[in-house]
Amino acid sequence: MELLTDSFISAILLIASLDPEVFSIVWVSLKVSGISTLIASLMGAPLGFLIAYGSFKGKRILIVCLNTMLALPTVVIGLFVYSFISRRGIFGPFDLLYTQKAIIIGQVILILPIVTTLTIAAISRIDERYRKTAMTLGANRWQTACVIFREARFGIVAAVIAAFGRVIAEVGISMMLGGNARGFTRTMTTAMALEYDKGEFILAVALGIILLVLSFGINLIFHFFQGRTRT
Amino acid sequence: MLYALSKITRKYGSRTVLDIPLMEIEKGAIYALLGPNGAGKTTLLNILGFLEVPTTGDILYSSKPVNFSESSLQNLRKEVVMIDQHPILFTSTVYKNVEFGLKIRRVPQKKRGIIIEETLDLVGMRDFEQAQAHRLSGGETQRVALARALVVSPEVLLCDEPTSNLDVENQAAIINTLKQINEQRKITIMFTTHYMYQVSSLAHHTFFLDHGKLTTAQAEPFCQG
Ligand SMILES: Nc1ncnc2c1ncn2[C@@H]1O[C@H](COP(=O)(O)OP(=O)(O)O)[C@@H](O)[C@H]1O
Ligand SMILES: [Mg+2]
Repeated sequence: MELLTDSFISAILLIASLDPEVFSIVWVSLKVSGISTLIASLMGAPLGFLIAYGSFKGKRILIVCLNTMLALPTVVIGLFVYSFISRRGIFGPFDLLYTQKAIIIGQVILILPIVTTLTIAAISRIDERYRKTAMTLGANRWQTACVIFREARFGIVAAVIAAFGRVIAEVGISMMLGGNARGFTRTMTTAMALEYDKGEFILAVALGIILLVLSFGINLIFHFFQGRTRT
Repeated sequence: MLYALSKITRKYGSRTVLDIPLMEIEKGAIYALLGPNGAGKTTLLNILGFLEVPTTGDILYSSKPVNFSESSLQNLRKEVVMIDQHPILFTSTVYKNVEFGLKIRRVPQKKRGIIIEETLDLVGMRDFEQAQAHRLSGGETQRVALARALVVSPEVLLCDEPTSNLDVENQAAIINTLKQINEQRKITIMFTTHYMYQVSSLAHHTFFLDHGKLTTAQAEPFCQG
């Protein structure tokens, strides 16, 4: 118990001292997760919209597949991407392994199903009458889609926030594809795993505190947007 | 003739919910469409509003045959507006709701403002201009929906049960507005209803629909009040 309280106090002091290493790690995490979330959102939100609004064969199966992909373990994604970008993989010549780009590729695969399925859910909740109203007032397909997207906006933002919350806290992909290189691919979670291995807890606890505070903030925002969709 | 329908049917699966051999609607008149629940009233309005395509049959609109491709229906919808039985307003202000059709038609902003205020005045909702639409009562919602339809100066206004869920005061306000716009702007109106007295005070002609079929379609004398 003393170990934890001692580390906790030292960790707070470390954060308070604005330690450059801590902030470099936090920055890498935020940057990589932010880019992954941005890419996954730009792909997943329109994809979710098309799936929710389209009527095509195999739609049900597609949604079941996407829901299954929500449960993909990060190590499976890590292994899968690794097989493509390792030196012997078909993308080997691009030298992606152990770069931030590699982490981003893996994380996009991780959260694309999250953004997509939550967008499908958000769009499906939107009253059918909005479409009819837009159409009768003369809107074309694109304008009608914009109306529906706009009505679903809080739900879609909530989807994006949920995805960010997932990547910022994941460790498997960052570790396997990023390699935990200091100042380059070392993220909050991989740094914590490393420090734990070394038996040094102060930095790990400091990062843990920052991660928790970030997650709390993200969840607050998520909660706010979820609430807005229900009114 | 504004509309001429011939041999129109609408099927859901194997069920025929609408079967109209002939129906004509003249420009500038007010029509009531009466019938029990499930008679096919809403389905017929959807077809007249170019929101739904009949399973078989032809429609002449303004003496031109209607082509049921999405792009040509979209053009026709610019002239015909339908107001739902339970209208839904966009999650935004009253002003933005009413502005929608004008934006779509690329009406310049200044002109939009003038039209919107004039129309909100007409339905008695000018004071609610900046109110959030989802906070309005049923009667207010119906009035805003009417204003939102009217700003685009439609040729035809289709109202599905425009007064069904309203108190007497709001019913009278809606009916007066419909009468006024028909007289002043020559807008052709068709509305569905359960109430007979509305028919006598408002409609020039009445259609009766039952089990998807028109039972009486002759023009009835227009009686005031
Ligand atoms: N989308 C639909 N799918 C299947 N049946 C429908 C659909 N819309 C309407 N119907 C059926 O068509 C019939 C006519 O409906 P409707 O036009 O709404 O009648 P009304 O407006 O006169 O009450 C009803 O029996 C209804 O169940
Ligand atoms: Mg109906």
